[in-house]
Amino acid sequence: MSALILTSVLGVILLYLGLFGGKKLLAPVGILGLLGAIALFVMDKQYINIPQFANMLSFDAMGISFSIGLLVITILIFIFGIDYYANEEKNVAEQFALMIFSVTGALMMVSYTNLLSLFLGIEILSIPLYILAGGKRNSMRSGEASFKYFLLGSFSSAFLLMGIALIYGVAASFELPKVMAMAATSGTNILFLLGCFFVIVGMTFKVAAVPFHFWSPDVYEGAPTLVTTFMATVVKMAAFAALFRFVTMIGMPAAVGKALLLIAIVTLLVGNITALRQSHFKRLMAYSSIAHSGFLLMAILSNSANTPSVLFYYTFTYALATVGLFIVFTVAKRAANGDEHIRIFRGLFRSQPWIGVMLLVMMLSLAGIPPFAGFFAKVNVFMLALGAGQIGLTVFAVVMALVGIYYYAVVVREAFTASENEPALVVAPTNWLVISLCGIAVLVLGVMPGWLL
Amino acid sequence: MILIALLLIPFLTGTLLLVARPAHSLVIALISAIACAVIVVGLWLMPGSEVVTLEHSWIPQWGLNFKLGYDGIGLLMLLLTAVIFPFIIAAGAKETYENPAVVNALLLFTQSALFGVFMSQNAFLFYIFYELSLLPLFFLLLFWGGANRRAITMRFFIYTLFGGLALLFGIAYCVVQEPSHSADFTALHALHLPYDVQVWLFWALFLAFAVKLPIFPFHSWQPDTYTMAPLQGTMTLGGVLLKMGLFGILRFVFPIVPEGVEFWRSTVIWMSIIGALYAGWIAFRQTDLKRLVAYSSLSHVGILCAGLFAWNTYGISGSLYQAFAHAVLVVSMLYIVGAVQRRAGTTDLSKMGGMKLQTPRLAALFFLVLINAVALPLTQSFVGEWLMFNGLWQLENGGWMALAAVLTIILGAVYMLYAFQRVMLGPEPRNESGVRLLDADRDDHLFLVPLIAITLVLGFYPAPILHLLEAPVQQLLSVLN
Repeated sequence: MSALILTSVLGVILLYLGLFGGKKLLAPVGILGLLGAIALFVMDKQYINIPQFANMLSFDAMGISFSIGLLVITILIFIFGIDYYANEEKNVAEQFALMIFSVTGALMMVSYTNLLSLFLGIEILSIPLYILAGGKRNSMRSGEASFKYFLLGSFSSAFLLMGIALIYGVAASFELPKVMAMAATSGTNILFLLGCFFVIVGMTFKVAAVPFHFWSPDVYEGAPTLVTTFMATVVKMAAFAALFRFVTMIGMPAAVGKALLLIAIVTLLVGNITALRQSHFKRLMAYSSIAHSGFLLMAILSNSANTPSVLFYYTFTYALATVGLFIVFTVAKRAANGDEHIRIFRGLFRSQPWIGVMLLVMMLSLAGIPPFAGFFAKVNVFMLALGAGQIGLTVFAVVMALVGIYYYAVVVREAFTASENEPALVVAPTNWLVISLCGIAVLVLGVMPGWLL
Repeated sequence: MILIALLLIPFLTGTLLLVARPAHSLVIALISAIACAVIVVGLWLMPGSEVVTLEHSWIPQWGLNFKLGYDGIGLLMLLLTAVIFPFIIAAGAKETYENPAVVNALLLFTQSALFGVFMSQNAFLFYIFYELSLLPLFFLLLFWGGANRRAITMRFFIYTLFGGLALLFGIAYCVVQEPSHSADFTALHALHLPYDVQVWLFWALFLAFAVKLPIFPFHSWQPDTYTMAPLQGTMTLGGVLLKMGLFGILRFVFPIVPEGVEFWRSTVIWMSIIGALYAGWIAFRQTDLKRLVAYSSLSHVGILCAGLFAWNTYGISGSLYQAFAHAVLVVSMLYIVGAVQRRAGTTDLSKMGGMKLQTPRLAALFFLVLINAVALPLTQSFVGEWLMFNGLWQLENGGWMALAAVLTIILGAVYMLYAFQRVMLGPEPRNESGVRLLDADRDDHLFLVPLIAITLVLGFYPAPILHLLEAPVQQLLSVLN
């Protein structure tokens, strides 16, 4: 598919632009290129469901909607990047280029038809991220985040590769249709199940599901905020799409279903309960992201015909709200001289009413309160789970959703409480644009979910 | 179209107030509220207006429609909201706080959401409006509340949302069970769930409303919140918002899980009555006037819920009738509390007394409001209470229930008269400054006299409201057989 080639080339172009000093052009060129990639996805209808690149990728409806969603989110992050990197002297080109490469990997992950392209996609996604996480070169925490992410990431990749090898050992092929046929005939083969299990472990690491979540709070905290945003949104979307593809392919044998159920339960529990105790915004968002992984795993568990659209709606609206919130956080953090405690939001509404309202909208969306998009996302997940007969799990998830509301409400309360010394918030026009776009999109998609489902 | 107007008039006026923050926000809000009242009264008086509905495709993927409409019960609730809200807004005239425009805007947003709740013909739509009504109040309590407002608001918010999420689960479960996955009330009401499912699903559907009302033992958010909230916030909560609970029970619980109701009926009735007695007793022991009113509301609501669960013509229509009476009562009683507080400078009963000597007209108004609170014959409350006791009496073992419920009335008379005595009667207050207290002025009369008139007229001639309820109540009862 030409979009994939375009993004790969785009990364190289950005690198060269940086080399020849076109720092001001980086973001605009990147955004233009990404828009071009979206246009290609929209227009190239003749490739739908036809395997590409020697049967490595096949863009079905789900793959295309996820790809477009990923590119849209990346564009928003790029617009954020204009202001975020404005004060840095050099090395900006690498940051943008690495993000482009990473997105290319994400695009592969959402439409793979071959286990090797899955592995390639995950690696192309991850390796730039290991570098990006260490983007603040003078900060120990950033270095720690990068190193931790790299070590644990490689560990999970090893699991993934081992799993793929075991599946290959049974099915004698990497291609999904053949593996699928094999799973249908001898799905209870112990080696095959072990392989599936390892692959799932590798991918749950990427979505930060418990018990493979330990890296995420530290990495979220240490990495530059823009990279954190990227990890919380693009990586999550791509990893869930990939996980769903894998699970549908193996047809969810009972043992794998049980493992996923267990993972979903502990993810919901640990994510939500631990988030209650967080007062550091990035760590809070990390645990909230873990909690959302739990809900998304519920959707995957149900494995019905509606799951892809629900997954897309959920991850996309979650990503929109997360991008907006991280930008608000960056703005508030600057005003508070680098403090990252949630108290930095105090007085936000007084000094910037519009931004305050947008924070409210996005927080309530994450909390799942109607009429914002997060509400319909959660309802969709509950309906899927109930449709699959998971009544107990749904009751548990409903309780956990309530716990979630508390910690989001705490941030909202901070933002709407007057502070003694009013923070001098400066919102760059580009940031203002992205925050407004995200907030309004979350509201509009919440009122009219039909446009996206 | 007219139904959309009901949603939009308060919403758009509220948005205008929020953005422009005009100086005369109260007048603008009042005009908007009166316009809504005129529309709803018009709908009420217009024959055959029940057929006014509105349907638009909303989320085609789920077969979800944006469907508005109402039956007699819905109309009663709309009427209650529309009639009470001008008073709630007008009550702000005597209050002094920051940003009155924002308060009025928040109140109008609540009104819009309430209209939405009472007009929804679709479970998801109902849920959305139901939760939306909470958001403006969250801010009202958080910014304009009294002492310890941050913690109390959070508790209120979490309690209500917990109930709400249980309801959401219940709705999702029903919709999944429904063959065409429709969330329309008509489709859900036609659902026949197995007996054992109904028994547990009852709680998923009922919990939200039990918290909202609230009935014992889900009430612990209520006294603190009512006491802490600004006057208009308490009026909204007690006057209108808790009626969503009754309405929700009639929309969700009775028609969808009738066998579940059958199973839990006496439990719920006894919970409500015990809660009512308990709250009445606590009200009697209160030394704070506003807290006393909060507990008295809690006590009244317990009886409302018990009457509803009697599930016969008397019980349901009595409960709904009493809901109207209670709204009028809460608003007028709280207005009196506000008036007394402004004059005495406190709501502490132990520091008050003898106010009647200086403010005879206020004392008279207080007494006229009070007779409604103690359900004296010829007041609205008497009609409602009498119907509910009849309803309870008809049940198996109903004699005891009715007896216990009557006890709450006696308790109510005791603590209300006791409050009146402590505030108005007795020796002159120790007034160091020597300034005479102002008696009730023209505004106070303009506010209270119409409310007292409603009470007395509908107490004397309840037929218009009861007539409204006949058909829908019969329809509800037909589910029972």
